[in-house]
Amino acid sequence: MNAMPVALLLSIPLAAAAATLFLRRRAFIEAVHLTAAAAIFLSAAFLARDVLAAGTLSFFHGFFHADALSALVTFLTALVFLIAAPYTVGFFRRPAPGEGAPLGGREIRNYHALTHLFVFTLLAVSLTGNLGLMWVALEGATLASVFLVAFYGKPTSLEAAWKYAILGGVGLSMALSGGETWEALNWPFLASASRSFDPLVMRLAFILILLGYGAKAGLAPMHTWKPDAYSEAPVPVAALMATAMLNCALYGLMRFSLLAAPAAGATFAANLLALFGVLSIAVAVPFILVQRSARRLLAYSSIEHCGIISLGLGLGGPLGPLGAMLHMLYHSAAKPLLFFCAGNVQQHTGNDTLRKSAGGLIHVLPVTGAAFFAAALALTGTPPFPLFLSEFTILKAAFARGMLWVALLVVALLVAIFAGLFSHISRLVFGPRPDLARGDLNRWTTWPLPVLAAALLAMSFWIPGPLLALVEAAAKILEVRP
Amino acid sequence: MPLDFYRDPLFGQTMITLMAAAVLVLQITAVAQKSIVANIYVFAVQSFLLAAIANTIAWFNNAPHIYLAALLTFLLKSLVLPAILLKLVERIQIGHELKPLLNVPVSVLISGLLTLLAYVIAEPLQHGAPASGPASLGHNTLPVAVALFLIGFFLMANRRKALSQVLALLSLENGLFLAAISLTYGMPMIVEIGVFFDVLVAVLVLAILVGRIRDAFDSMDVTRLSRLRG
Repeated sequence: MNAMPVALLLSIPLAAAAATLFLRRRAFIEAVHLTAAAAIFLSAAFLARDVLAAGTLSFFHGFFHADALSALVTFLTALVFLIAAPYTVGFFRRPAPGEGAPLGGREIRNYHALTHLFVFTLLAVSLTGNLGLMWVALEGATLASVFLVAFYGKPTSLEAAWKYAILGGVGLSMALSGGETWEALNWPFLASASRSFDPLVMRLAFILILLGYGAKAGLAPMHTWKPDAYSEAPVPVAALMATAMLNCALYGLMRFSLLAAPAAGATFAANLLALFGVLSIAVAVPFILVQRSARRLLAYSSIEHCGIISLGLGLGGPLGPLGAMLHMLYHSAAKPLLFFCAGNVQQHTGNDTLRKSAGGLIHVLPVTGAAFFAAALALTGTPPFPLFLSEFTILKAAFARGMLWVALLVVALLVAIFAGLFSHISRLVFGPRPDLARGDLNRWTTWPLPVLAAALLAMSFWIPGPLLALVEAAAKILEVRP
Repeated sequence: MPLDFYRDPLFGQTMITLMAAAVLVLQITAVAQKSIVANIYVFAVQSFLLAAIANTIAWFNNAPHIYLAALLTFLLKSLVLPAILLKLVERIQIGHELKPLLNVPVSVLISGLLTLLAYVIAEPLQHGAPASGPASLGHNTLPVAVALFLIGFFLMANRRKALSQVLALLSLENGLFLAAISLTYGMPMIVEIGVFFDVLVAVLVLAILVGRIRDAFDSMDVTRLSRLRG
């Protein structure tokens, strides 16, 4: 077995964080960031290749473990980090919000070092084979990202960071207590007594896990930190949190629901996942319809997509997990694009508002405006874009299980979200030319957008063979037979 | 042999029960206590008792890796963290009053009800364990752990000041530690170290954040953190 990709995946971000702390010149820090992102992506691709060839890899007494599911989540984390890397470079060369000049050396250094640490913890979540270590890594991800949320130091950023840290901390301690109950069941001391354990206790444990990891993923009703954190964090970090961290938290939930299935009853965990999924989609609707800020809008959309993935997992059968995995892939590719567009708009117009916006961005920021519109269509699952396929697969899973009413309810909610997002974004993009300078000046923040949009469109017709195989293998793992 | 009592599991059981009771009493003291500084001391003593419980379990179960957990708890939670928090209180010069949302008698009453609830929840788990013998040592502390957890939640909700929320989070964490020690005799060592590391970093992160919030808002009242809505 080749442990190289796993070793590289864990050591590159740490090395990059350490190196960043000693660098003075902005260009070097940027070079380290870009190199690390590319190297992590390559290692993740190699890991995926090894996993596809060998099935399951296990190192260091099982503390590190990779199967198709963890390889997919790892790959997506690496992918989002890679996508965000060029944008990050451009983003920090432009003036910080509310200030005339780009941020100085010390802030830049802290930002990059913390981001590398954040990526390290996220990769550790999906690469460890130990439930306790997974918890440690996810808590580490929270701690690494608290200062990234508070990065600009404004009162609102501090408020967002405080709520994020406290809710994340409380949520994860619930997850730990649920995990402990679980470990108690597996522990040799209690092995003989475990048969007399109430399924009720196991169910209670799973509910704690669901609340804990659900809070981290942003499932309703534990989603309240999300809009604050996403709107206050620097754009590249918000993109990472909305995709990679969401995937990792859901990954924890998936692992536990697989474990809980035999003890608590297969349908119990699945039904709860589906219930919280539909609830999250429903909760997002009113906030999307009346939203005033573009990035808060994206946060509510991320709550919705988290709900869709959770619903897919809960529906089960062969189709549900497949739809969920596809949706995770497509969402991870689409969401960063939207955050980048929103970031460009915010940097150019100086604010993040939707209602008071003059509109007409297509005249001022032609590339960003067009990409924003295309990305909004993609995010709402409009047909030429791939999210339609995954949402359709999940709906098909609902029909296959005879849950007609759930499917109809979800369709209605998705239509409402489509209407809300579409009207907000089109009002922002189209309209008469506003009184602003023509922008799209920074190459780094502009040219990734059309490339990403084109790649996203291509994905609905063609996914690279190995990636599709990985998605299918991951869905196979999640298939729970009742 | 009168001097051999320290090898008698029954003695260990009694000691653990006694210390667990003291831990619970301290938690309710924390609910009733209005001064932040006193609250930090309560937390330190509570952590010390937890370390002692862990030590006792390690001794009677011959589980050497729990000694490490006990040592870390003692060093970290009863010395380092209280020192950091006391320093923070001194630095930001806040009023020592805690200003809970509900008054003390009501809070204590609620804590009592939560303790009752904890015993109801933890009952099914206790049936699983054998009645006596070294293997079940410390299992009767599970309700106490659940009670710490629930009261910790209540404290989080009941307190307005950022620093006292951190203390509530820590006492909640103490409940988790007690459950881990008494129920599973500790997690694998590397996980244990990871959890301690996370707790330490979490307190540092929150302490820095408290300082910055204090600077930005001139207050630590988290009910003032209400600009972000919708």
